Amino acid sequence: MNVQFKKGVLELCVLVLTAKRDRYGYELVASISEKFHIAEGTVYPLLRRLTQEGFFTTYLKESQEGPPRKYYQLTEQGRQYMNDLVLEWRIFDRGVNQIIGEGLGYDKA
Amino acid sequence: MTRREFMDELGTLLGELPDKERLDILADYTEHFLMGIQEGKSEHEIADALGSPKVVARELLAGYRITQAQSNASVGNMTRAIVATVSLGFFNLIFVLGPFMALIGVLIAFYGVSVSLLVAPLGMLAQYGVPNLSHERLFLLFGSLASVGLGGMLVIGLVRLTKWLYRQFLRYLQFNVQMIRGK
Repeated sequence: MNVQFKKGVLELCVLVLTAKRDRYGYELVASISEKFHIAEGTVYPLLRRLTQEGFFTTYLKESQEGPPRKYYQLTEQGRQYMNDLVLEWRIFDRGVNQIIGEGLGYDKA
Repeated sequence: MTRREFMDELGTLLGELPDKERLDILADYTEHFLMGIQEGKSEHEIADALGSPKVVARELLAGYRITQAQSNASVGNMTRAIVATVSLGFFNLIFVLGPFMALIGVLIAFYGVSVSLLVAPLGMLAQYGVPNLSHERLFLLFGSLASVGLGGMLVIGLVRLTKWLYRQFLRYLQFNVQMIRGK
């Protein structure tokens, strides 16, 4: 998949994954790479950037077993940004699917 | 690649970052390795899935540079941000940057011309000594006055032009940095 294309989608994915509850890095990486192939190491630079831009705050939390985990929490600004991106994605997705449908003649079936 | 190898290489590649930033980044990857190991994965498996430390470092450095350039606008910071981003594969930026480099070349050439206009009379002095009032020498005297005057005016104009170009260049770079961040 096109690298730039994937970057945008990756951003959308980490934002949406943190919408319902705070997540830690490993968890985010695992849920995404379960669905499609990524270079897992590039999720962390993305998380840093989104944090710097004020879309996430982070905190450390001890876990029963293993090291303390860095959790990512969506800020109000982040939630707004996520909503915008989701809307954009829906419009984009619908448009592309319509073009594919018309191009390949699925709609006439 | 083992965890140790991955971390060492990443740490080296991030050498130019401030210590606090670098250690924070390395902690993220250490956490990732430890969690993977806990799930029963091998260090090699985890490192493979993370991808090359070079790719990771490039992303991180570009992110750092862009933030620097945004919070502290200077030609140096902006240029570093753009160079870092170009290394990620935004090759089109380099083509847009080309004309600017050509412009800077032209500017340097004009400075060269004005400097030679300014120092030309020194050459005449060296060759003929202090001018006396013979026709030929008088001609040289006026010639050198004209040369110095022309050179001086050219320099004043060029300094203004340079200041203006500097502001335009900064605006252009700022625009690029914002485009990189997708805003």
